[in-house]
Amino acid sequence: MGLSAQKRLRSIVSYSILILWSFVLLFPMYWVVITSFKNAIDMSIKATYLPFVDFQPGLHAWRYLFVDRLTWFLDPFMNSVVIAFISSTIALAIGSSAGYALARFDYGGRNNSIVLGFMSQRMFPGALFILAFLVMFRELGLLDTRAALIIVYSSGAIPFIVWVMRDFFEGLPVEIEESAMIDGANRLGVLFRIAMPLAAPGLVAVFVLSLIGAWNEYLVALTLTFREAITIPLFMTMQVSQTGYTEWWNMSAISLISVIPVVAAGMALEKYITSGLTFGALKG
Amino acid sequence: MATETRIDSPKRSRFEIRDNIWKWIFLLPAVAIIVILLAIPVLWTLYAAFTDLHLYRIGIDTKFVGLANFEKLLSNRSFWRTARNTVVFMLGVVPTQLFIGLTIALALNNITRGQKLFRTWFLMPLMVSPVVVSFIVGRMLFQEDIGPINEILRDLGFQGIPWLTSPTWAMVALMVIDVWQWSSFMILMLLAALQGVPPDLHEAARVDGANQLQAFWSITVPLIMPITMTALLIRIIDAFKVVDIIMVLTGGGPGQATESVTLAIYRTGVKGGDLAFGSSQAYFLLLVLMIFGGAYLVLTRRAMGKD
Repeated sequence: MGLSAQKRLRSIVSYSILILWSFVLLFPMYWVVITSFKNAIDMSIKATYLPFVDFQPGLHAWRYLFVDRLTWFLDPFMNSVVIAFISSTIALAIGSSAGYALARFDYGGRNNSIVLGFMSQRMFPGALFILAFLVMFRELGLLDTRAALIIVYSSGAIPFIVWVMRDFFEGLPVEIEESAMIDGANRLGVLFRIAMPLAAPGLVAVFVLSLIGAWNEYLVALTLTFREAITIPLFMTMQVSQTGYTEWWNMSAISLISVIPVVAAGMALEKYITSGLTFGALKG
Repeated sequence: MATETRIDSPKRSRFEIRDNIWKWIFLLPAVAIIVILLAIPVLWTLYAAFTDLHLYRIGIDTKFVGLANFEKLLSNRSFWRTARNTVVFMLGVVPTQLFIGLTIALALNNITRGQKLFRTWFLMPLMVSPVVVSFIVGRMLFQEDIGPINEILRDLGFQGIPWLTSPTWAMVALMVIDVWQWSSFMILMLLAALQGVPPDLHEAARVDGANQLQAFWSITVPLIMPITMTALLIRIIDAFKVVDIIMVLTGGGPGQATESVTLAIYRTGVKGGDLAFGSSQAYFLLLVLMIFGGAYLVLTRRAMGKD
């Protein structure tokens, strides 16, 4: 076999593997999409795979959600939106300025230890926190409030942001900042007008990643909220435990509403997200 | 003066004195939040593990019980069952993810056209909520009577699998879900590692007469090893902490067959209110993670140093 034939064979094999795995990833998502257009009858006798071929798609699940019962899922949806955005914004502001400080200032030669201290949080299992959080927020009277989840999620995202952003800022040239300071700018101005804009790709990546983390979190939400402040994941699981029966088409529609925004954001920012996700490990 | 600072540490600014206030204003909020929300819970849980604290009797007559909770833990068969489940889960998912991750990353590294498209699509599972994956997708796809997986199996002439009612298959279903969701992490990490391998090194080995497999084994593998080891450690730790997909797909059942340590802690401490016993379980998990993580780091460093 010649070298070019070998090369062609290799790329045929590669594409086959990639397409196969793409289908494995696609199938469950396809199933949720078609289920959201199904009727009860399409799910009670046998599995149906193709709209218009073996079942007649309908919009009733979507109509049910957006017309009949909008308020029913709007509350948890808004909880998720508010909690995810506020907690990520707080985490970004606090975490990135700490990352900047650790990149630019000297803390008695202990900068690396401080960063490691932040990252030690990664090691701790969530189970170690939920019991203390439960008692803590109960004493504070914050159980079942958005504030409780905002506090927990922002503190959860800060270490990761400090870690990524410190490296990001370290990679930026310090000369621009220095000349701005010679021209009379102070540190705060330098951070907001010069460093932050230059670090925008990193900031976007960590912001979106912490947004997704807060949006999808389940264990803490389950521990700290139960009615008023429940988020979308919790809302979905509660639909079953209450009735023991699930309206899969409605659940599928809700899943799509909750999944599409974050998946779209993540995939649109693929380059930044991938670098944020793989970041720490690539350094180590 | 200015030049001196710059020689010492070229990345640092020469405005050290003026910055003395900002230095702390920028850093302290993050430190304060982490100390309050990390250190306090960790220490409080340690304290709780040595008491008889109960959720419905907080502040009333709390007694120190020494190591009683840990003694109870070690002799508790149900806890060991959950520990075993967690290890089985980890051993099932991590090697599979490594295998899939390496295969796909090699394939991706092999192609040029469409690479970005595949990479973007492979990011998708990492963005999807585990609850959606496990609850909606898992329960629908693994449904025993009319779920598509069993239907396809029956069409192929096999028997339907009792996914959620058999202890073994319930565990397999959870593993499938975790592999579906997290293989992408391995793919992206290993792809980044592979792209760091200089192509001319590989070519040189081929010119020197090494075949494809030899070149891969002697050039690529050692070079991607550090990232692979880190990625594995991250996945192992995460697999040890598994909880949400279990809560929603099987609830730990049938019986206790798929209950993980974290789920047991939730059941004991949050649902049952036994904060003391739950805390001791949490510390047991932390101890295992620390011993394991430490040993892993030492061993991999040593192994790679020898290479």
